[in-house]
Amino acid sequence: MQSVLGDKKALAILLGPALLVYTLVMLVPIIWSMGYTFFSGNAISGFTFVGTDNLTRLFTDPEVRTALSFTIRYAVVITVGQILMGYLLSLMYVFILKKSSNVIRTLVFFPVVLPTVAVALLFQKMFEIAPQNGLVNSLLNGVGVESVDWFGSASSAFWVIVLMDIWRSMGFYAVLLYAGLVDIPEDMLESARLDGATGWRLIKNIVLPLSLPVLLSSIIFSINGTLKVFDSIVALTNGGPGSSTTPLTLYMFRTSFTFGDYGYGSSIALLLTLLCLIVTIFIFRSSRRDLTKD
Amino acid sequence: MSTQVPATKAPLEAMQRQEPRRSRSRAGRRWAKLPVHLLIALLLVVELYPLLWLVLGSFKTQQEFLNDPVWSLPGSLNFDNYIEAWTTGNIAVFVANSLMATLPSLALIIILGVAAGFALEVMVWKGRNGVLLIFLTGIMVPGQMILLPLFSAYFNTGLTGTLWPLIITYTATGLPLTVFMMATYFRAVPREVFEASTLDGASIIRSFISVGFPMVRNAVFTVALVQFFFIWNDLLIALTFANNSDLSTIQVGLLNFTGQFGAVQYGPLFAAICINVFGTLAIYLFLNQRVMKGLAAGSVKG
Amino acid sequence: MATLRTKNRMLLLGASLGTASLVLTGCGAGSSGGGEGGSEAGEFSFLTNVENTTISTELETLASDQCKTAADAMPLKVDTVPQTNLDQQLQLLAGQGALPVQFAAGNAPALTKELAGSGNVLDLEATLTDLDVIDQIEPAAIDTIKALYGGFNVLPYQYNVEGVWYNKQLFAENNIEVPQSWDDFVAASESLKQSGVTPLSASGEQGWPLTRLISGYLFSDLGKDALQKVADGEAKLTDPEYVEAAAQVASLGEKGYFGEGVGSIDYDTAINQFLTGEAGMLYMGSWVLANFNDEAANQIGLDNIGFMPFPKVEGGSGVDNQYAANVGLPMAISQKAYNEGTGEWLKCISENYGSSALGNQGSISGFKVNEEVDVDPLTQTVQETISSTSESVLWFEALFDTQATTASQTNAAPLVTGSMSPEQFMETVQSALK
Repeated sequence: MQSVLGDKKALAILLGPALLVYTLVMLVPIIWSMGYTFFSGNAISGFTFVGTDNLTRLFTDPEVRTALSFTIRYAVVITVGQILMGYLLSLMYVFILKKSSNVIRTLVFFPVVLPTVAVALLFQKMFEIAPQNGLVNSLLNGVGVESVDWFGSASSAFWVIVLMDIWRSMGFYAVLLYAGLVDIPEDMLESARLDGATGWRLIKNIVLPLSLPVLLSSIIFSINGTLKVFDSIVALTNGGPGSSTTPLTLYMFRTSFTFGDYGYGSSIALLLTLLCLIVTIFIFRSSRRDLTKD
Repeated sequence: MSTQVPATKAPLEAMQRQEPRRSRSRAGRRWAKLPVHLLIALLLVVELYPLLWLVLGSFKTQQEFLNDPVWSLPGSLNFDNYIEAWTTGNIAVFVANSLMATLPSLALIIILGVAAGFALEVMVWKGRNGVLLIFLTGIMVPGQMILLPLFSAYFNTGLTGTLWPLIITYTATGLPLTVFMMATYFRAVPREVFEASTLDGASIIRSFISVGFPMVRNAVFTVALVQFFFIWNDLLIALTFANNSDLSTIQVGLLNFTGQFGAVQYGPLFAAICINVFGTLAIYLFLNQRVMKGLAAGSVKG
Repeated sequence: MATLRTKNRMLLLGASLGTASLVLTGCGAGSSGGGEGGSEAGEFSFLTNVENTTISTELETLASDQCKTAADAMPLKVDTVPQTNLDQQLQLLAGQGALPVQFAAGNAPALTKELAGSGNVLDLEATLTDLDVIDQIEPAAIDTIKALYGGFNVLPYQYNVEGVWYNKQLFAENNIEVPQSWDDFVAASESLKQSGVTPLSASGEQGWPLTRLISGYLFSDLGKDALQKVADGEAKLTDPEYVEAAAQVASLGEKGYFGEGVGSIDYDTAINQFLTGEAGMLYMGSWVLANFNDEAANQIGLDNIGFMPFPKVEGGSGVDNQYAANVGLPMAISQKAYNEGTGEWLKCISENYGSSALGNQGSISGFKVNEEVDVDPLTQTVQETISSTSESVLWFEALFDTQATTASQTNAAPLVTGSMSPEQFMETVQSALK
């Protein structure tokens, strides 16, 4: 039986194609780009070997520091927000709305369908101050607060981004987590209920541990997505004001393709990859440990 | 989103049947539910208002966009913007391109990804954790990094100028997440199921197709949904490899409504977004129906 | 049986994927003949930003009319990319040696300079002289291009001069002569302010309409090369004569000549203030003519708008009638793709684009206008101004890198509202310069 589960030929058929495509289209280009880390220049004027200059430059470049701190702040806030909102929504679907959750789920999921360009436009309009007040400033004026130039300062622009990204993705995570929640075997819930577990205790002792695998993969998924945020920021603030909302990906893209320094761009990408790697391995390890404990 | 219902009807119904025993009076329950109803109402406003705004916006003129407040209604209900978007905006071509790039990649991602996830989680062999980690790196590397090498690879193989670069790149970039998620889902399936089926003399591939795949079909649908919207909404890869107006996907096409000096033709842009959004929604609802029916049929047979 | 069939299917799938990946990795040998890129012989391929439709529309018009011969031999093929993605596409295409025949020159002159340095950009001075059409380009436009791009490397499909637009009626009501000198300009502003009108409408939110005034003062006071010296490191923005320019502009703000809340006035609002008669003067480039021609927006009337050069600083070493100029997003020609057919096209464009674009779209270019074209008097004035000018100046940030540009434009409003001193402002910009 073990020999069947270890059948080499079957393994090749099942795993081979995916591994091949993945290796050729992702791994090879990644390693190729990593190689550029030791060069400066671009595809136009050619590359010159600079050794580890690019890597040392990473540590002295103040722009990298700003971008790194923005990226981390963004990833942490958004991941917590997405997962928390998503989990609460999914709990609501399962335990409060029950069978009637279908319509609500569809509606809350809806923003995911919207193109990034459209969502960004919507938020720009809602938070605008000139030529006329958007919805948010009008509401503020209504309660006697002065209009705020939301995109004018780094901190307020950051919170608009946060709001936008949580708004558009919470429905998505709710569905993802919902899939995990409905897979919880009925008899477990039932026996817990018969034991007198209700509400918060039921969730904490039964639901949370059982939905942990899905929760963890959602977190890994979310943190890796948010560390690599690109589209939504380009569309909403384009990194401004100044460079205060520029994530590493955008800085990397600009360095590579606008400033024409592909080698340094690759070095920034390397930094970002390492960041993702550390975070993921950390979560991955802890999830494995938890599972083996069971 | 409303996908997993059939497979799980039983536990939910069971839970509901349990409830009355414990519940207080009906009036009390209604009061207790009030905050929940308020919460849901708020949720609906937050989710629906933008949609409404979008639809209203698609009927507004440029002057109305610039001079009237954000929440104002359009002056008249004319379809000029839609005509503009459809004719000058070339929306039909963009939608076709998006479909032709998205659907094949989606199919490939699912077939390859589920099989690989099965091989990595269910099958027993040395080094599978290593391979899983290699796939995991793919989730972590920023997509911007593979653009330059891939651009020259596609160019030198003569694929530039077709939709193949998009299909291939989407497939490859979609695999890591799919493999990883499928491995996670297969982990939740008790190993005894596969061991039993292989004891029957079935080969592992047969066991995958007849036992493994059906057991994770809910997950497959979720993953497919996730990947669909990733690919459909992608801008970076489409901008880089479909560098030709005949190959533009819908997301790239939406950028066409921005004019020189940053002036935006809001009306036609909103009309184009509406066409895009409701088109996607229709596809989704249709697929959803189909999949639900298929699932229901499967569960009856099982 | 079923197993066998599935196995076969799987194998088939694997095989086809294998082939696909072989194609993918297959070394590039002999693939140069593929139909990719835009350098196919026999096509006048043109890659432009999707935002600009004027040029491609006009070239298509030419292709079916004056340039029919050239277009028959070498059909025009327009491709578009969004401007945000232009630099990336140019880098990638140039890296493969596959630039189209004509392409938009990227968002910063640096990219075009780099492309020129690697032999990708055609030297238009030599080529157009050979083709005997160099006199079809306005000298002022060539001057601007050389100052920006280090050589005549791009075609001026767009040419904008900048200056001060004024409201003739408001000037007449307050007995204001068109100011010649900086002192006159300040006096005129004072009179306008006394009469309850905002003297100068400017977008502090954009920043550049304010820094344009600083550079205008610098060029007029210190001469045309004032900012080139800064770029070359021969002078510093913190030198007293440079700080003086910032101080002059700051004092306009201090006296309230920009009106209330200059920091949050955006581009459209600034123009709107001028067109509704709330403001007497507006510093802006000639692209604003499109707004002036919009009858719904223009409430003071086209006839009521005058155009003058930047006022002269007395005793300064700059030229009279100084205009800042730019070429918008110009187009370059690929040196590698240049052939006789392209030459035909270039000759025809040089001879006809100027009048065609002006006549059909009211768009002012750096090509000479060879035919009588019926346009409104104000556009006519601007066109004549361009023809009679042989020298132009750049703008404050033209030779700065991105960082210094951002520093300058974001701090312009604090400068005129007084929350930043002229010394601090110049210090900040200077330290952002690399």
